[in-house]
Amino acid sequence: MMSPATLTRRIAPALACVGLLMVWQVASLALKNDSFPTAIEAIRAIPDILGDKESLINILASLRRMAIGFGVAVLFSIPLGLLMGRSRAVAAFFNPLLMIIYPVPKAALMPIIMLWLGVGDVTKTLVIFLGVSLPVIYHSFEGAKAVEEKMLWSGAAMGLSPLQRLVRIVLPAALPEILTGCRTGLVLALITMITSEMIARQSGAGNILFNALDMGQYDTVFAMIIIVGAMGICLDALFDQVRARLVRWSEPQFDMPLSFS
Amino acid sequence: MKVVPSRSNEWVRSVTPPKPASAIIEIDRVSQVFQTSARKHHLALSEISLTIEEGAFVSILGPSGCGKSTLLYIVGGFVSPTSGAARIKGQAITRPGPDRGPVFQEFALFPWKTVLGNVMYGPLQQGVRASEADAQSRALIEMVGLKGYENFYPKELSGGMKQRVALARTLAYHPEVLLMDEPFGALDAHTRTRLQNDLLNIWERDRKTVLFVTHSVDEAVFLSDKVVMMSKSPGRIRQVIDIDLPRPRRRNELLLDPRYQKYVVDIERMFDESDKAGSPS
Ligand SMILES: Nc1ncnc2c1ncn2[C@@H]1O[C@H](COP(=O)(O)OP(=O)(O)OP(=O)(O)O)[C@@H](O)[C@H]1O
Ligand SMILES: [Mg+2]
Repeated sequence: MMSPATLTRRIAPALACVGLLMVWQVASLALKNDSFPTAIEAIRAIPDILGDKESLINILASLRRMAIGFGVAVLFSIPLGLLMGRSRAVAAFFNPLLMIIYPVPKAALMPIIMLWLGVGDVTKTLVIFLGVSLPVIYHSFEGAKAVEEKMLWSGAAMGLSPLQRLVRIVLPAALPEILTGCRTGLVLALITMITSEMIARQSGAGNILFNALDMGQYDTVFAMIIIVGAMGICLDALFDQVRARLVRWSEPQFDMPLSFS
Repeated sequence: MKVVPSRSNEWVRSVTPPKPASAIIEIDRVSQVFQTSARKHHLALSEISLTIEEGAFVSILGPSGCGKSTLLYIVGGFVSPTSGAARIKGQAITRPGPDRGPVFQEFALFPWKTVLGNVMYGPLQQGVRASEADAQSRALIEMVGLKGYENFYPKELSGGMKQRVALARTLAYHPEVLLMDEPFGALDAHTRTRLQNDLLNIWERDRKTVLFVTHSVDEAVFLSDKVVMMSKSPGRIRQVIDIDLPRPRRRNELLLDPRYQKYVVDIERMFDESDKAGSPS
């Protein structure tokens, strides 16, 4: 038997989605604009896209680039961020570099990267990598910096070498913060995936979307937006499951009550 | 499993007048200066010299900010002194090592490990077989009164329980010297008394050398063979008092013992006098 609070929490996301679609439907009917199909029209177009082999291959190619870009970025950024957090010299070297890269929209670098590496998978994956790296580095850095010194001292007294302390104390202690960065990174991976395909049209989910836009197939455009949105929600939910499992030891046990009345 | 301490440095002792027990830790004119801002320096410890005998329970007592923690960190090898040296069994201390086990006031448990995982961490690191480490750690957890909590995470424990885990975690890798920094400072009076009794029982069983930092005069007299009184600004040793009370000590007997009461009153009076005499810093 589920308590009312649990039940509400479970169905809340579904309610939010239904609410959004209803607002969309009403707004579209009210505006009567050709380029703004109703929610129902857009949903009807989804099976056509997912049933088409060509489109599916495109979407899977996008997901593959995203997975590789995200994976490589995480494997590169976590060690770098942790090192920066524990060594002032490493931080002093990399901080200015990152400060320069941070405000630049990664997609804006694409035309240049395309000149070097062409319009293929490498360029798009590299842009995804750049988009994901910064938040993961930043959060790993902050997480490593905040690790209690006495914890490292305890490890040193047990005989852990500096490298062992980094891997076996700093990494787990900073994990909640690192995973926060990875979650942001995941969303950014999705965004940079679509924008990269908008700039270098060739294949991918973004390609379907912008081709349909060019041809005035607005129900396909909006269907693709729903598909990309759904991918985002699913990936995020999946990631949160993994995260919650990894850092159960740090989660607060109770919901924060808004009032005690 | 237990490592027998080597006596290879005995010849050093033979030069100096004979002592009843051999010195395990020597602190030799240690000073510590902290840079507090670009121009300002703060002398936290000034020319501290102290010898601690093997198997002794020594308390360091002094006002807040007199450098007690700093001194303990130097012996632990976590901080290197500005001048002077600390030695363990004649070897200069340059880094932390499993021969010196710290117990910090902040507990510093590994929050991603359960109680058992925390206590097993040291033995596993030292290469003890997992099954053996598991059995030893469970026994230690029982000894500090936490049987049944093996699979709890630190966030699920009270302050007193965390402190017990911290003690068990350090005892688990058999350090020769325990370095305890106000381990009971953050606890309520009742828990504090219980942990003092437990610590005393454990210590009277295996007689490890203990360097114990505290604010509390009662606690220092109750536990120690020797009380080192420190004064502030700069941190100096004021006086070292031998506590000549019989062991094993029982709290209910000791509190009624006039000798115990005299130690407490004398030490408190000495601190009061220095407070009056001392200029405001
Ligand atoms: N890393 C540091 N940088 C600058 N000053 C420090 C540092 N560590 C300690 N100090 C200073 O050195 C002095 C001694 O500090 P310490 O922590 O050893 O005192 P304490 O006797 O342990 O005090 P308490 O009883 O409050 O724990 C204090 O004045 C403190 O401000
Ligand atoms: Mg202190």
